[in-house]
Amino acid sequence: MACHRVSSFVALGGALGGRHGVPSQDHIFFPCSTAQSRPRSFAGSKNPRKSPCCFAQAAQLEALGITETGKFSMSDDDLSSRGFQLHRSLDNINLDDLNALFVKVGFPRRQNEKLLRALEHTGTMLWVTKAGSVIAFARATGDDVFNAIIWDVVVDPAFQGIGLGKAVMERLMADLTRKGITNIVLYAEPNVLGFYKPLGFVVDPDGIRAMSLSRRRRA
Amino acid sequence: MASVCGTSVALLGALAAASSSIAPRQRCSAIQSLPSNSSQWWISRPATQDYYRLRASLWDSISGVLKTNSSTPIVEPVPRNAEAEIEGEEDIVLVEKCQENGTIQRIVFATGAEVDVYELQQLCDKVGWPRRPVGKVEAALKNSYMVATLHLHRQLPSGGCEERSLIGLARATSDHAFNATIWDVLVDPDYQGQGLGKALVEQMVRALLRRDIGNITLFADAQVVEFYRALGFQTDPEGIKGMFWYPRF
Repeated sequence: MACHRVSSFVALGGALGGRHGVPSQDHIFFPCSTAQSRPRSFAGSKNPRKSPCCFAQAAQLEALGITETGKFSMSDDDLSSRGFQLHRSLDNINLDDLNALFVKVGFPRRQNEKLLRALEHTGTMLWVTKAGSVIAFARATGDDVFNAIIWDVVVDPAFQGIGLGKAVMERLMADLTRKGITNIVLYAEPNVLGFYKPLGFVVDPDGIRAMSLSRRRRA
Repeated sequence: MASVCGTSVALLGALAAASSSIAPRQRCSAIQSLPSNSSQWWISRPATQDYYRLRASLWDSISGVLKTNSSTPIVEPVPRNAEAEIEGEEDIVLVEKCQENGTIQRIVFATGAEVDVYELQQLCDKVGWPRRPVGKVEAALKNSYMVATLHLHRQLPSGGCEERSLIGLARATSDHAFNATIWDVLVDPDYQGQGLGKALVEQMVRALLRRDIGNITLFADAQVVEFYRALGFQTDPEGIKGMFWYPRF
């Protein structure tokens, strides 16, 4: 039986030339666990919403809708015990360090001022440091209400293959869905499609195509 | 309603050259004396100036983005509010039509126009899009880097206040530096079929390029891919694919 309203999703896409929506779900109700996990003092409580077991479970659903268990594949504790620190704002970011990371994975080097302007106008971001150095990053732009586009997902090659990319993506997506955004899109190079598919991303759904106009290409 | 395609850039040049010396009111009656049907659209010159400037160098720099088949010299429509251009906002008269009773109708492209969310809601209803909470739409517009609009302005012969109605919209989100993504392009069905959608996106792309956004992206339904290709957009550039998140749990 439903005992705690965890979150609500509004179904609407923002695609071009017509609407493309993700499946509609008005509310997500998470069923209470069985009676034996309830503390004895609450036995006989008529209002299951007040049961602490529900709140405990709700607190664990940090990745609701994003992972099968509703929990991150690698917990925050897992990360910190390995010396990784999570950041969600621009505080203490070192632009040279970040630029160096982009270059390491093959992105073109960008001007610090332009990069800073881009970051200042980015609604959601997540980056990981180890010993003060940035080793993973991802950000999402958009209107903060309906649509989000994920850019610049990078993991330092020295730290790839241990689940950091997934850790960053799951958390970024959780932050976005918590804001109520359900239309999350991205542009993926052919060699990383396999990274995004297990996270729930689908290529060209219903024949929708990503298109771009780039001054760089025309030059 | 029979109409000349109002957004052919080539026509702009030809008509401007023909009528550059005629003041607006006289021009109106001159058009009325032309043969063919009376509800004839023609391309406006800017409200504040009587000529178009040939901006060949600007055209060269963005050629390939916008395509035309005509051999007429290409001219750039001059914004009707010179101050707006300096402030970084566009305000361009795309089409002007003078009716027999003297009413002037203009279709104006703008990037700094105020959008009435209830007008927008009505427009979305008209094209058959599902309704969205008004508060959220307001927030989405506010958080957009650029909201481009097409408004129909009607000025009565008495010269009183202009009526203004929203007939098209497109918005772009951006990080203000590298990328912009265009969403929600729509044109009132009553005004479709005359090139306004093309002009809307075309002018928006120009405006974004002017602001030095080097990568303009969008997601196109299968049936509108060709529409955007004609405006200079490419599918899957360098094999890059668009991906959408579908919640599975």
